[in-house]
Amino acid sequence: QNKQISGVSSGCQQGGCLTCSDYNGCLSCKPRFFMHLERIGMKQIGVCMTSCPPGFYDTRSPERNTCTKCRSECDSCFNKNFCTHCRAGFYLHLGKCQENCPEGLVRSDTQRECV
Amino acid sequence: MCLWCFLRPGATGQGQSTAVCSPSCSCDEDGGADCSGRGLTTVPTGLRAFTYYLDLSMNNITELPAFVFKNFPYLEELRLAGNDLSFIHPEALSGLHQLKVLMLQNNQLKTVPSAALKNLHSLQSLRLDANHITTVPDDSFEDLQQLRHLWLDDNNLTEVPVGSLRHQANLQALTLALNRISYIPDNAFANLTSLVVLHLHNNRIKEIGDNCYSGLLNLETLDLNFNNLMVFPKAIEALPKLKELGFHSNDIASIPEGAFHNNPLLRTIHLYDNPLSFVGASAFQNLSDLHSLMLRGASMMQDFPILTWTNSLESLTLSGTKISSIPANLCEDLKLLRTLDLSYNEIKELPSLQGCVRLQEISFQHNHIQQIDRGTFQGLSALRLLDLSRNAIRVIHRDAFLSLTALTNLDLSMNSLTVIPTTGLSALSQLKLSGNPQMKNVLTAKNLPKLRSISLPYAYQCCAFVGCDSMTSSSEEYDVKKSTGGEDVERISMIMHCSPSPGAFKPCEHLLGNWM
Repeated sequence: QNKQISGVSSGCQQGGCLTCSDYNGCLSCKPRFFMHLERIGMKQIGVCMTSCPPGFYDTRSPERNTCTKCRSECDSCFNKNFCTHCRAGFYLHLGKCQENCPEGLVRSDTQRECV
Repeated sequence: MCLWCFLRPGATGQGQSTAVCSPSCSCDEDGGADCSGRGLTTVPTGLRAFTYYLDLSMNNITELPAFVFKNFPYLEELRLAGNDLSFIHPEALSGLHQLKVLMLQNNQLKTVPSAALKNLHSLQSLRLDANHITTVPDDSFEDLQQLRHLWLDDNNLTEVPVGSLRHQANLQALTLALNRISYIPDNAFANLTSLVVLHLHNNRIKEIGDNCYSGLLNLETLDLNFNNLMVFPKAIEALPKLKELGFHSNDIASIPEGAFHNNPLLRTIHLYDNPLSFVGASAFQNLSDLHSLMLRGASMMQDFPILTWTNSLESLTLSGTKISSIPANLCEDLKLLRTLDLSYNEIKELPSLQGCVRLQEISFQHNHIQQIDRGTFQGLSALRLLDLSRNAIRVIHRDAFLSLTALTNLDLSMNSLTVIPTTGLSALSQLKLSGNPQMKNVLTAKNLPKLRSISLPYAYQCCAFVGCDSMTSSSEEYDVKKSTGGEDVERISMIMHCSPSPGAFKPCEHLLGNWM
């Protein structure tokens, strides 16, 4: 069961929440879940997820699991230096999103990869 | 080139779909179905055959029966994270020939479902992290020849699954972090010739084979942080493309000579929180991409590291060592240096730092320096912070600070000074001189127009800065009328903090004779 902050209506029903408040969503997550702050208008809402949203990568550690932004040219990534999918106009090769492909490879616009 | 991939079946546009969907899901027109967090215990029926993305995460599905996804031949991404999956039937994933991404993290699996993974010939990303996996059968990933990213972190592995990785020539990123691995055998990753990233942090690695990284010719990131290594990981010699290396928070006592001689592309090395006592002087030379080097507490280190060709350093921290001298040509190599922290060493003399023109912060705190020459800081027009506290400085050349036009913070406390030059310190806002008992003269505010905070050896010396007639508090509103070239008088309100502030119990004891 997720622990409600006293005096706060039980508005946050997310599965991964450990403590939450109606206004800010999850304040802490259950073990092994990733805490991510989503901005909705002026508010920041805590969300507990099994994997970080697109554009962020997961980092697990004994104390807590965090979501960190990928490099700007990546749509998704494994860590800050290794992309798994590129933004439009960039092409993936060995974890790098580049505008041009290495010699011998050509750009595939559908997969956004050097093939 | 697969043309119909452009026109993904059912792809008609964005937004909610009026197309066929299960009541337990919300579907979009591109073939995506989101059935996450609905309390489902089984895979819903009624979804379209052209579903390419199916999110079943955060439900209560405990097992996957045979052929449960047989109606989804076009599925490319299947999310099953955050269920209570403990069993996957060997035929559960049959028919998913186009599956590229399979997410099984945050479940209850005790072993890799190797039989079920058979025939997933297109799979590129496989997440098995945050389960309870203790064994990885050797044939687990045999058929997954397109596999690029594999997550096995946060499980109960006690050894590197060498056998199962033997056929993974296309694997590019692997994490085995947060497991209980204590040893890495030689040739553990021998065939992973495409591997770029390897995370092994938060294990119990105490020892590694000298050839354990053989074959990793493309590895760029190796994370060994938070382990129990007692000896420097010599095996990194096999990693010619290494750019990022982390082994902080281990038990390593020394870094040998030539430690990184085979890793010329290194950009970052995280090695803090090790009981380092010795660092080979030649360990860090020829690392032309290294941006930052931070060595603290290598208490037995006596020689300043040789940094020839390590010429991209922007930050150098070497503190808590027995280093007693700095090479005279330091700045010939380190032209890009911005922060230099050589505090808590045994340095007696400073060379000229003239070539380090980008230096912004310098700390020589807590050394044995006795004098500052004319040329020591010459040309350092970008310098903002200079900490020379806790030395034995007796003399500072009158032109020593001439070019420090950007200096805002100067700490000369706890030295043996009698007088300090102020020419050139027009931007100074904080000056610390306390702990110079021989300095009895009064400093004038004349050369220090921007000063906001000053600490002095004696209270009476503050009278020159805060006006002793209204000795109420140490920080005072002090109106200064400044005539700005002609009649206009511009009133500047200047808040000046001076300590120790004169007061009833700290009278201006040297009042008579020398400052009235």
